[in-house]
Amino acid sequence: MMAYAAFARSGFLTSLAYRNEVWANIFGKLVQVFARVAIWLAVYAGVTAVDGIGIKDMITYALLGGVVMGTTRYERIVHQVGKALKTGDVAIWLLKPVHYPLYLLAVEAGMSLYTFLLAVVPTIIVVASVYGMLPPASLFHGVMFLPFCLLGFTIHFLCAAIFGVLAFWLMTIFSLEWLLQSLITLLSGLLVPFWFFPEPFGTIASHQPLAWLVYYPSAVWLGQLDVGGTLLHFGLGLAWAALLALALALLWRRASSRITVQGG
Amino acid sequence: MTALIEARGVSKRFRQHKRFPGLLGAFKTLVTSEYTEVTAVSDISFDIAAGEAVGYLGPNGAGKSTMIKMMTGILVPSAGTLSVLGRTPHEQRMANARQIGVVFGQRSQLWWDLPVIDSFTLHQRIYDIPQARYADNLKRFSALLDLTPFLDRAVRQLSLGQRMRAEIVMSLLHDPKILFLDEPTIGLDVVAKDAVRKFLAEINRERGVTIILTTHDLQDIETICPRLIMVDHSRLIFDGELGRLRAALGSARRLTLEFSADPGPMALDSATLTADEGLRKHYLLEREDVSLVQILGEVGSDRGLKDVALHEPDIEEVIRTFYQRRNAAPVAP
Repeated sequence: MMAYAAFARSGFLTSLAYRNEVWANIFGKLVQVFARVAIWLAVYAGVTAVDGIGIKDMITYALLGGVVMGTTRYERIVHQVGKALKTGDVAIWLLKPVHYPLYLLAVEAGMSLYTFLLAVVPTIIVVASVYGMLPPASLFHGVMFLPFCLLGFTIHFLCAAIFGVLAFWLMTIFSLEWLLQSLITLLSGLLVPFWFFPEPFGTIASHQPLAWLVYYPSAVWLGQLDVGGTLLHFGLGLAWAALLALALALLWRRASSRITVQGG
Repeated sequence: MTALIEARGVSKRFRQHKRFPGLLGAFKTLVTSEYTEVTAVSDISFDIAAGEAVGYLGPNGAGKSTMIKMMTGILVPSAGTLSVLGRTPHEQRMANARQIGVVFGQRSQLWWDLPVIDSFTLHQRIYDIPQARYADNLKRFSALLDLTPFLDRAVRQLSLGQRMRAEIVMSLLHDPKILFLDEPTIGLDVVAKDAVRKFLAEINRERGVTIILTTHDLQDIETICPRLIMVDHSRLIFDGELGRLRAALGSARRLTLEFSADPGPMALDSATLTADEGLRKHYLLEREDVSLVQILGEVGSDRGLKDVALHEPDIEEVIRTFYQRRNAAPVAP
């Protein structure tokens, strides 16, 4: 266990190694969130509420989307896994008393913590002080937001790692990365919250795992789910995470046994 | 004392998707599922005892890296049995990993963006090295390989020689019983090569770490490894001491005689003339028992002999001769 904590620390320190990236990151995030807020301001021009959702809710949603999504970088994971498998660098990790997927998770957690503290939090403070942001709907919702974010991070990581391992058998890393990018943009609720989706797409979208990346954490903060609904969806998210973890474990086992038999 | 590493008839065959040349061939490749088998290692057996230093030598594509990968447990042999420290490496990869150290000349195990020392502390966590032992090893190895000046520098800022020294130190921090090195001196300059060789020889001698290294550089073997295993075209062709290889090949020494005035054509009984430049004549001494005194006696003191040079065959020459003879007559020695 000590080893994985040390991996997370190294991930954090690696991110910190490039100081200029801190500023570039904050700037990039600010532009993104401002753009998203601007879209909603235009949509809500002259209207106080759409389907019972006010502009304040939407600004908050756009900001929170930036938090949850801005923390983890799927392209980094897909790339790292894909490259390690294709070039055979993964052999180095097979030579150590370490489980490679857990190692990746630990490093990514460290890197994400870095992004959260040094890019996401400053962005939120700036945007919130310009446009204002709603507090959590209740103490319960505020408290539950955090575990939802962690769950979102885990599912995000698992999906990206699965795509990375798939690169071993399928096409190029880039095409998988783009595929995942479009899936996440649409199905996480990042671009448009599901409550604006026409039926049955709204229902379908809210039942797939990527919904836990942005939609559910934000919905919890805004109080769109009652206490029972919040707990139920937390459980459902956990079930998705378990299923994805199993899928990753199986794929990883196939890939690594192929490496040890075929040499990659 | 049983062997630390035991290889019995180990073979490794890879299956490769058969590819057809040309445009039509490219389409054909898409739809066929024909395979060609490539043999990387075939029927290799050897024993390596604790404390040995073995050089694993062979031309490109002879199956050196494949053998190292099988011994470290990241490749499964197609046939034969392999036992390392009493285990089958690929079945108990994790347990095996704790007791071996591995260095790849071509692949870095250090964290690119972090100071060297951070990679080391990470290594300490991965292998659960007790603090006292870790500090002690770090101090000793860093001093031996002169690592202290750049321990705090990021790996990406190091020269190749510094990086390689750091890689080797890291691979030894957890006191492995066996150290595998895949071309550890590749791309290093003379000074760095020398430092690495001396260090490895010392680690082997003082700490009794068993060393197995693959290399192209024969100098590596001359300084570090008393024992040599040679492979070619996936097969084992020689296993024994370097000295024995020399002896087996008759160790043809080269003799150069220099005269103050050209004595004309001169044949000797004990040596064969290979080149005549007039003032300077080159001979080959094929027989082991011929001494320099004998030759000088034969030349005589009245020929104006100015200088004599006798060259022991260097290892490159020995091995070149070995490969040539083998290719000429494909019979194992």
